[in-house]
Amino acid sequence: MASVEARRLVLRNDLAELQRLAGWIQGWSDAIVPSSDVSFAVQLCLEEAVANVIMYGSPKGGTLEIAVEVGRDDGAWVALIEDNGRQFDPTTVPPPVPPTSLDDAKIGDVGIHLMRSFADHMHYERRDGRNRLTLRFVEPQASVRPAG
Amino acid sequence: MDIAVEEIAGGITKVGLRGRFDTTGAVVVELPFNKIVTEKQKIIVDLSAVNFLASYGIRVLLVGAKIAKAKDGKLVILCPENNVAKVLKTAGTDTLIPIFQSEGAAAEALAAA
Repeated sequence: MASVEARRLVLRNDLAELQRLAGWIQGWSDAIVPSSDVSFAVQLCLEEAVANVIMYGSPKGGTLEIAVEVGRDDGAWVALIEDNGRQFDPTTVPPPVPPTSLDDAKIGDVGIHLMRSFADHMHYERRDGRNRLTLRFVEPQASVRPAG
Repeated sequence: MDIAVEEIAGGITKVGLRGRFDTTGAVVVELPFNKIVTEKQKIIVDLSAVNFLASYGIRVLLVGAKIAKAKDGKLVILCPENNVAKVLKTAGTDTLIPIFQSEGAAAEALAAA
């Protein structure tokens, strides 16, 4: 396995930055994350977390700094998303009410639910005027990416 | 992200999406996709070549299904790969938009609609 030192990327609150985030993760995840399911989950949760900050972190339109760090710790992949936007704790958002019909279905509201479902653990803290969201992804022993 | 449109038997329009259906991809296909669902009645959205799906992609699919239904049309999904199917299920989209594993079954459901 290649190096699993923590990797870090700093983004601005501009939706175009999501393309840079996706390219950054794809640039190393396939090579060092053995499970394609975990790789997918990391990519999904980072996309949702960063998209939330970009869309809602700065209601008055000021520039934000969003730092993303991914590393490995104690048998799990750990992603930290840190931003200097308005205080927001996604772990307190209640799960969406499942719609019963297409007419009743609300558009949106699933990003945090997806993060909660695809990450094994979510932890939030507000420190030094920054939101710090930590996501853990446990690598299942049996789900190693096939060779070749 | 790429979008391809094909008219198949039974007055059905097959929309093939390819690539990452994330925010970046969804923004690219949103307008052409909405145009198709506005103009067509029976729509199969083939997700077999979509290797990633995030909430903005789900939004595009749901808006499309709502547009289709509002004019008595119908939209169904064909062949999402494993993790894409898991996202659809987790978001509850699979209870709102029918998902099929074969084009024949999808076409049959649209014929009956």
